[in-house]
Amino acid sequence: MAEVLVVDDSRVMREMIVACLRSLPGAVFTQAASGLEAIERLSLKRFDLVLLDLNMPDIGGVEVVEFVRAQDTLRALPVMVVTTRGDEASRERVMAAGATRFMTKPFTPEALAAEVRGLLGEGAGAGR
Amino acid sequence: MTEGLAGFLAAYTAEAEEHLAAADAQALLIDASLRKGESNARAVRELFRALHTLKGLSAMVGVEPVVAVTHRMETALRAADRAGGRLSLPTLETLLRGLQTVASQVRALADGRDAPEAPRGLLDALAALEADVARADDAEVRLDLDPAVARSLAPFEVQEIARGARAGRRAVRVDFVPSRERAEAGQTITTARERVGRVGDIVKVVPLSVAATERAPGGIAFALVLLTSASDEAVAEAAWAEPASVRVVAAPRAAEPEVNATRGDEPEVASLDVGRRDAVRVDRARVDAVLDALAPVFASRARVSAEVTSLRAAGGDTRAIAAALSDDARRLRELRAAVLRLRMVPLAEVLGRVNLVVRGLQRSSGKLVRLEVDAGDAECDKVVADQVFPAVVHVVRNAVDHGVETPEERRRAGKPEEATLRVVGRQRSSAEVEVTVSDDGRGVDAAAVASRAGEPAPADDEALLAMLCRAGLSTRASASAVSGRGMGMDIARRVVEGLGGALSMRTEAGAGTSFTMRLPTTLSVVDVFTFECGAQRFAAPLSAVDEVIEADAPVRGPSLGAGAAVAMVERGGAMIPMVDLEAALGMGDGRGARRKAMVLRRGGEALAFAVDRVLGLQEVVVRPLTDPLLRVRGVSGAADLGDGRPTLVLDLAALREAVGGGAA
Repeated sequence: MAEVLVVDDSRVMREMIVACLRSLPGAVFTQAASGLEAIERLSLKRFDLVLLDLNMPDIGGVEVVEFVRAQDTLRALPVMVVTTRGDEASRERVMAAGATRFMTKPFTPEALAAEVRGLLGEGAGAGR
Repeated sequence: MTEGLAGFLAAYTAEAEEHLAAADAQALLIDASLRKGESNARAVRELFRALHTLKGLSAMVGVEPVVAVTHRMETALRAADRAGGRLSLPTLETLLRGLQTVASQVRALADGRDAPEAPRGLLDALAALEADVARADDAEVRLDLDPAVARSLAPFEVQEIARGARAGRRAVRVDFVPSRERAEAGQTITTARERVGRVGDIVKVVPLSVAATERAPGGIAFALVLLTSASDEAVAEAAWAEPASVRVVAAPRAAEPEVNATRGDEPEVASLDVGRRDAVRVDRARVDAVLDALAPVFASRARVSAEVTSLRAAGGDTRAIAAALSDDARRLRELRAAVLRLRMVPLAEVLGRVNLVVRGLQRSSGKLVRLEVDAGDAECDKVVADQVFPAVVHVVRNAVDHGVETPEERRRAGKPEEATLRVVGRQRSSAEVEVTVSDDGRGVDAAAVASRAGEPAPADDEALLAMLCRAGLSTRASASAVSGRGMGMDIARRVVEGLGGALSMRTEAGAGTSFTMRLPTTLSVVDVFTFECGAQRFAAPLSAVDEVIEADAPVRGPSLGAGAAVAMVERGGAMIPMVDLEAALGMGDGRGARRKAMVLRRGGEALAFAVDRVLGLQEVVVRPLTDPLLRVRGVSGAADLGDGRPTLVLDLAALREAVGGGAA
């Protein structure tokens, strides 16, 4: 069973992401509405994948990635940033902070599902 | 739209409206700061965030016209954010036009239409904004902070702390440590943040790595940095922490003799920023589905009632069943009221938007206006709020454009240069709200209005209002850029009456004018007259009908309006025009003899609609006709009267428009 954390301050966006991924066998989704909530949930429970928005109140996605990578227990956790900011500079900043993948909105349900399937497959042996 | 996500459109419009409300509130904060010669980096960032989120969401559901506007606004705001929140008033003005455009696009979607493209001129103006931002100066402030926390503070956040300290508030840090047990008890960073936000203004929340211990099993803690006047105990309690753990980051300094005010001076505007924390967001369609499900229950209850009545007429003992039935009726009414309350929105939320309107008007009219908005706890149905807002805007525009004098005129009249405009919302009862817009301007010049209308001077304010409401009449010699042609009063009145409400006015020369709109809190349940006309059954809101008179002995006249047969009929000694209802609806030639006539209550002169037979009075749940193919002028919805047959509910005010008003 794969535990997926979906982080976005837009409820509709979170639900759309979950709707796109509903067909994945055995995936269980948890939603977080802010970067702070995401960090809290990640510290209290094991997740296999994080889908992360960049633009959020208090602390943004880049800060979440930086924080996650600085935690011993979360260093190997796959984090895919899903963002509207498709420019190269944003992408570089996010990847430099330690994100695993980068995907721009809008996306098609198929493209998202394919990415997630790939990440869950890779992460399966990545030991935590 | 991205395939498979079409079902999210309704949820999209609901959430988009929230982002827009947040953006409006932030724009107001920026405006308030700019007027004091300050920048407001936090509000600029929040405005940026709201638009960015809206853009992403719009792109997902494929609403390209909204993406086009929000993308450009976002670009300009990102530049302003990078420059420490600096932006100019003209820039803000352009951004506000952008917000208004997006609001109308979202409204169109909510109404089931396509979002219109934004005007090219606006898109170009927004695109040109990026260059229009200045650099911020970073004030040097020394803070007593853990370096890990200090590192995470942006320059504007440091400035915010410094300004707070100057205003006599303490900046403190309190830590929240999450755990599974706490999360199960509802103690999370999200709730902690909310609670702490109530005892002060949170500047920043920083996640920190700590040694994993029994107390901090996750190996993390959150440092909340806030400006506050509350005690350590209160701050600690809010974060479920020990009072001793609250640390002062920056102590208050004696207020410097400085003109620049601080955040503490913005309670009126800042309060807009506070969301309703305990709110659950429900798509309106879901609430309507509950109402729809409820309607047949009411209908079948009416059927049971009828059965009981005939049983009693047949000599049966119906006391017990009648008592149970009346109990049932009461509970059903309570249930329905509870469902209707779900659709209520605070009037304050709606009236708060008037701020933006007045601010723009001031600049274009050169007048000075201080706006006071007070809506207390008044609430009304979201549909009522949405529909009445344009009417409130019309009246406010009028007040600024026509009512309020120029600063010179006011000085000469011995008044303060700055006029006061009050917009007050009141809950009159559970069924009625009242919105009053009053100014302390010159008052309406009755003689001037009468002379422009070519009529004798009106006897009272009511007659004066009726005169003002004739379309196209303006007391100003030239149509101003602010109000456009005419007064807009006819539109305001039509909107209010269309909602089943009433518009009234009081004016005093030299002292000011006040317009009052009385509105029903909800549209869905109404008392209706039911009647027959041409073998069809109809209902019309009781509130729209003044009285029912005998329609015998009408005097036939020439055809009026869209071929509707018209006659004159006597009412209280005077002859009033009477239009055949069937003909007005385009369902017949209207030459048949009718027995009754319903006289319209409000708006202009009396007008009667001829019908065959009045069936009675009833309380019904009105369902709006949302299918545009079914939309007929003069029909506002359908109701089930108890026998399962849908009955058309008429909008008599609109029908009157359709046949050419009362100007027979």
